[in-house]
Amino acid sequence: MKHEHIKHLYWRAGFGITPKQLMEHSNKSRAEVVDTLFRTSESINSLKIDLSEFKNLDVMTLKSKPKLLKELAVKSRKRILDLNTAWIDKLVSSEEVLRERMTLFWSNHFVCGDKSVVHLQQYNNTLRRHALGNFRDFVKAISKEAAMIKYLNLKQNKKAEPNENFARELMELFTLGAGNYTEKDIKESARAFTGYFNRFDGSFRLRKFQHDYGLKTFFGETGNFDGDDIIDIILKKRQCAKFICKKIYRYFVNETISELHVEGMTDVFYKDYNIKKLMHFVFTQDWFYEDRNIGAKIKSPVDFLVGLSRTVPVNYKNKKRLIKLQKLLGQTLLDPPNVAGWKGHKAWVDANTIMVRLKLASILLNDGMIALDDERDHMRRQFFNKNKGQLPMKTSPNWDRFQKNFKSAASEDLSSILINGKINKGTMSYIASMDKDSKQTFCVQLMSLPEYQMC
Amino acid sequence: MERRDFLKNSALASSLFFVPNFVRAFETFDAQSMGYKRLVIIQLSGGNDGLNTIIPYNNDLYYKARPTLAIKNDVVRLNDDLALHPSLKPLQNLYDNGELSIINNVGYPNPVRSHFRSMDIWQSGSSSDEYLQSGWIGRFLDKHGKQPYNAIELDETLSLALKGEHFNGIATNDYQTLYKTARDPYFQKVLNHYNDQHLSEHNLGYLYKNMIDAKSSATYIYEKTKVKLSQEEYPQNKFAKQLKNIARFINSGLETKVFYNALGGFDTHANQQNPQKRLLSVYAESLSAFIKDLKRNGTFEDTLILTFSEFGRRVKQNAANGTDHGSANNVFVIGKNLKTAGIYNKLSSLSDLDDNGDLKFTIDFRQVYATIIENWLGTSTEGIIGAPQETLNFI
Repeated sequence: MKHEHIKHLYWRAGFGITPKQLMEHSNKSRAEVVDTLFRTSESINSLKIDLSEFKNLDVMTLKSKPKLLKELAVKSRKRILDLNTAWIDKLVSSEEVLRERMTLFWSNHFVCGDKSVVHLQQYNNTLRRHALGNFRDFVKAISKEAAMIKYLNLKQNKKAEPNENFARELMELFTLGAGNYTEKDIKESARAFTGYFNRFDGSFRLRKFQHDYGLKTFFGETGNFDGDDIIDIILKKRQCAKFICKKIYRYFVNETISELHVEGMTDVFYKDYNIKKLMHFVFTQDWFYEDRNIGAKIKSPVDFLVGLSRTVPVNYKNKKRLIKLQKLLGQTLLDPPNVAGWKGHKAWVDANTIMVRLKLASILLNDGMIALDDERDHMRRQFFNKNKGQLPMKTSPNWDRFQKNFKSAASEDLSSILINGKINKGTMSYIASMDKDSKQTFCVQLMSLPEYQMC
Repeated sequence: MERRDFLKNSALASSLFFVPNFVRAFETFDAQSMGYKRLVIIQLSGGNDGLNTIIPYNNDLYYKARPTLAIKNDVVRLNDDLALHPSLKPLQNLYDNGELSIINNVGYPNPVRSHFRSMDIWQSGSSSDEYLQSGWIGRFLDKHGKQPYNAIELDETLSLALKGEHFNGIATNDYQTLYKTARDPYFQKVLNHYNDQHLSEHNLGYLYKNMIDAKSSATYIYEKTKVKLSQEEYPQNKFAKQLKNIARFINSGLETKVFYNALGGFDTHANQQNPQKRLLSVYAESLSAFIKDLKRNGTFEDTLILTFSEFGRRVKQNAANGTDHGSANNVFVIGKNLKTAGIYNKLSSLSDLDDNGDLKFTIDFRQVYATIIENWLGTSTEGIIGAPQETLNFI
């Protein structure tokens, strides 16, 4: 398989590739490389941080101890930040790259936020468990997740007064897309999800007295439907498979839809809603590797941060700064803007975020300095060294690891390894003029180019 | 080294003379003024409950529909029918001075009750069955904008409202940091080498274009803004801080026609009272400080402030002491020389609701936009608002 294609696959299905890994794959066929990718993601390793302080608590105890409840809320807020950075760490270090990539994708599909770190961690692992599984089981599991039950007000969805929030987003955002159902379908399906509730430990409970057992008419079918039945009826529609395939195409292949390719994907997915089969189909198609798709996608902030750390491991002295960074770049994991999630693509970048992105590699890796390769560099180095205390964050980059991973790569090959897709001609001539004595310096220069923002 | 190369590499290279033409086109300061009038848009995100904001305190139906949510105490009476939420007390003064116009029942036909869709409709100025990729301010910029900073959003990211077909406003919540970052000489070198006339046609070109925009706008905003002009006391919150920055920009005479600022958290499906009380208080107190600041600097006269939310909420409260997504809602217009101040129009009937139990709209939000475009920004709505709209009489 061509280096460029392996790199493309590993950027879209994972978070980039080192020259060492690239060499390991280069003698294999596309089918073999794709199979390896899926095989290494078969195992499921949950995201887990220490949450023992929230164990052995129940609602009754807490109701009688409002002060303890408040303390726990504060603790939970802090732990969510830990969960965020633990997730980033996992994205950087996990070998199950495809599973992690899919988990990240689904987290921006089944968008959810919560104040309870226990429920949020459980939710995140549900995404991970179903990431390459069956979409039908996935949707049903999501509808019974404690965090979702709270996020879209299923908890307040009662027989006497149905709350439509979940039913609406289920169809608009999770399965069918706007315009494929009526207001009446929403009202009827909301009734089927009445009584959904969660226990304090995060498990699901149906409150029978709040559930509407009556007849519902939904998409032309009538019955005593419950939530699972509604999901089954929705999935009968090919539109549901198509809606998901479109979203996957825009995320994994190209922001501009090819109706032909999406139809092909829908044929595969509609059969049994098997996510693994669908992704395998996508990654083995010739069209996936067409030039117009390579390096055509703007990295999300998380792609950018994780990809950078997979090239040069970065240790943040204060983990909180990693959260601040995500905020500045416009994507804080576990804290989506709303239930529609991040728009992505061009929306990641505007005149404000582009500067943060371009400057970031130098701040994380080189005290804020990007070498100019001229006589001023010596003075600038002194200046940046002297002022590094004023940088917004303290980090220790692991350049030894970089040197080890990039040992086999020649300096002049660095740009084709670090950069995806075509480089602007003028910029290319600038790169050619750089002196590449130090791989380390050249790496920072490359990572400070707009081209590095593409994958 | 040839003389030409020497010049190119020397410190003189920072002069505009050596910057490629297309970069210069972005950086050239356009002396042609866009006029003095400014528009400040405040978005209450999440769907503010309009009925508990401008309260029909003499209407039995209101109390009936909201047995636990109706606000009974400390309302600020405006006339025999309507009163302000107690948290909006700081706005009473504006109302009394004829500087506030409250437009009731603003919405659009076939209302959509999804946040994102309805917000997109409000921001893009579309009808409910139309999907536009640009915003109404963005399209104003397409026609009249010269620089990204002609419209500034005080946020980390840019909203659809400020995105045009060819031209975008700028989003920044920290203009000082933006400026410091943009000054790195490495970026200037990259831009000096970059050659592509088709800047925004593909994603990479889009990144370069943003790099250029950021650099020129950051420099302009930073150098032009005088911090000292705004010494008014503002409340300690993010929304107030952003308004304070807007006041600085306005008082410093930036060539910015539209400012955009959002306050979120109004999606009150459960236990609405306290969050809404707190949010409205943040809104009113911050806005009050902002207006004082403008007045002190003599810039209030040329500033119009529009406040909206993507929809109102259902008339009947839900079982969780909250309200679900509704449709028509009130809009506030604040300014010095309003033609119709006070209550612009009557609140829709609380007994004649639509099929969902929501207020019926009587004024299309695009009429509000059209009125502002024609009577305040002083230009035609053509190419900005799709269908022709009958203008209103508030300015």
